[in-house]
Amino acid sequence: MANIGRRGFVKGATLGALAFTVGGAEVIMAPGEARARGVPFRLLDAHQGETLEALGETLVPSAREAGIAHFIDQQLSVPPHESLLQARIFNFRPPFAEFYRTVITTADDASRKMFGRDFAQLPAADQRTFVDLVRQNKIEGWTGRPGATVYAVLRADAVDVVYGTMEGYEALGIPYMPHIPPEKRW
Amino acid sequence: MANEKVDVVIVGAGASGSVYASVLAKAGKKVVLLESGPDWELSDLISSEIWGRRIKPAGAPILLEGKNPMTYAAQGGWGVGGAALHYYANFPRLLPTDFRVKGEHNRAQDWPIAYEDVAPFYDKVAREVGVSGDAKAEEKWRPAGEAYPMPPMKTFRNGEIWLKGFEASGIQMVPAPVGMNSVEFNGRPACLYDGWCHVGCPIGALANPQITYLGDARKAGAEVRALSTVTRVLTNQAGTRVTGVEYYDDKQQKQIQEASVVVLAAWSAQNSRLLLNSATDKHAKGLGNASGLVGRFMMSHHVASTWGMFDENIQNHMGTIAVQYMSYERYPKTSHPGAFGSSFITAGFALKTTDLALSRADLFGLELADYMKRAARGLAGIKTFGEEQPNMENRVELSSAKDEFGMPMGKLIHSYDQDAVALWNANLEEGLKVAKASGAKEAWSSRGSIPTSHLMGGTIMGRGAGDSVVDSYGQSHEIPNLWVAGPSIFPTAGASNPTFTIFALSQRGAERMASQWGSLTN
Repeated sequence: MANIGRRGFVKGATLGALAFTVGGAEVIMAPGEARARGVPFRLLDAHQGETLEALGETLVPSAREAGIAHFIDQQLSVPPHESLLQARIFNFRPPFAEFYRTVITTADDASRKMFGRDFAQLPAADQRTFVDLVRQNKIEGWTGRPGATVYAVLRADAVDVVYGTMEGYEALGIPYMPHIPPEKRW
Repeated sequence: MANEKVDVVIVGAGASGSVYASVLAKAGKKVVLLESGPDWELSDLISSEIWGRRIKPAGAPILLEGKNPMTYAAQGGWGVGGAALHYYANFPRLLPTDFRVKGEHNRAQDWPIAYEDVAPFYDKVAREVGVSGDAKAEEKWRPAGEAYPMPPMKTFRNGEIWLKGFEASGIQMVPAPVGMNSVEFNGRPACLYDGWCHVGCPIGALANPQITYLGDARKAGAEVRALSTVTRVLTNQAGTRVTGVEYYDDKQQKQIQEASVVVLAAWSAQNSRLLLNSATDKHAKGLGNASGLVGRFMMSHHVASTWGMFDENIQNHMGTIAVQYMSYERYPKTSHPGAFGSSFITAGFALKTTDLALSRADLFGLELADYMKRAARGLAGIKTFGEEQPNMENRVELSSAKDEFGMPMGKLIHSYDQDAVALWNANLEEGLKVAKASGAKEAWSSRGSIPTSHLMGGTIMGRGAGDSVVDSYGQSHEIPNLWVAGPSIFPTAGASNPTFTIFALSQRGAERMASQWGSLTN
């Protein structure tokens, strides 16, 4: 994850879906589908993926199933000016991977100090307690960007994958009414 | 590599640059626009908040500092059309009081022009790009002008529901003027009210530069070079005239574009950054910067957001991202005791799922999931924009960090003063009263850090080089063939959304340039 290079633009971006690598070939699909099909991460390792899923699920229920980790992983693999991550909107300086890597490391360090285990291994109630403290900048020894900023960015990414899709609108009973619909309902 | 010399090179193909390109190309000038982002097609404007991020800056080379860092990437544009490709197209105008803050209140500084100098250009822009609204209703607060070319937009329950509360608070709301089509206009269709304006309107119902000024400019022969990043403005040896610009093209090759006139239209922070980075031995502090004011007086609007949850289904997905109603009732600078500055009140706008989630940023987990279901039916908002007074310490300067082209990054330092804090608080308190009087079941303010909206200042206009960077047309006081366009030339911010004024001032500046062409090029 530390050495994220510049890759060619994925053709799916212009169509509205994301390109994932399956068996050496690029396949266009939504992140939730990529997760369900067990598509390997491009840049994250298993623990990083598991941690992002746990953080995402704590912030927005269903984020894990919606493919939050696959979304972030795929988006970290494209050039910053093609990125759809909230880090872009928060004016972070690329590479955005630095942000996620630091968050995962810091969250695990703090979680082990507080609960004796990595964040992803905590029971849901402890995960919730932990995230609430992050939100309020109340984790002692937290490093990197302030906890409140981390909360805002990860929450927004999770809101995107759960509610920002056509399925997300449908689940809330909101008519999507697109001019140009995103492909594959993403 | 050097290119054939042109009459005008314009840096930035957004709101202001597109007006200059249109006016000058139609006047027969050879015009080249250099734009750092891609040349978007309307078919690129996918109806999705996630995909809409492609038209925002990424890795913007502006570092944000200060007590209240500016919101930069969310509001900025990247690509042809600039931020106006995804703007909300609210078209309120500044009022006469905005032009004479010093004269009336001994605060800030006066503009070197009056409202009456700009008013004809507001009317002209409205005729050209198409504005929907009710000018007569607005004239309660401003001098009379032309009627808008289209009737007001439709209103929806998510806007109408606030009217009772505003009335109870003594605030008259009128239809908001917007750069959108309530009916077919100049061959462009009427709006469908689906609320996707902020990710770009692909049907042409919203007046974005791609289909208005840039379309005209291209027809008149203007050339747009996308993915072309300008790094310096070049001068002659004596430093008396600019000769063109240095830029990196879409293959990242360094190029020189010579021109008789250079117009900087790259938004407030980038205009300052470019001038500062163009220092020479004759202009040691940067071009046009004898006053030391390039980069100074950066301004923003603070936004007081109030939310109400209503029992009924108010169909908050319907409408546009622009507002349905507006009021200048609190625009006089001393409207709120203990606070100073204008306030511009708005209500009724379409909400997407991101907006629903942001309206209660403290919620997460199951509480958020439950809230989203309720908000999807009953949430509505009002927003009051507040004026920030110009402060010299709010500034752009060059950083020691460099971008991919070796150009120093910009550092944008911004903090609100006590006036701004007091006005924001007063607007939040009033918003809450309105929400309660409107019958909201729950009402709350968005507290926390004070939001920044819009970006102005940095190369302010004035009467001379002693107190400003450019004159009222945008022409540098020091170098006659160097012009600056856009909100960077505003010396005060008012509280109205700035784009209508950007268009009007650019129209005025471009017409002046065309009429004075002989003196500029000799």
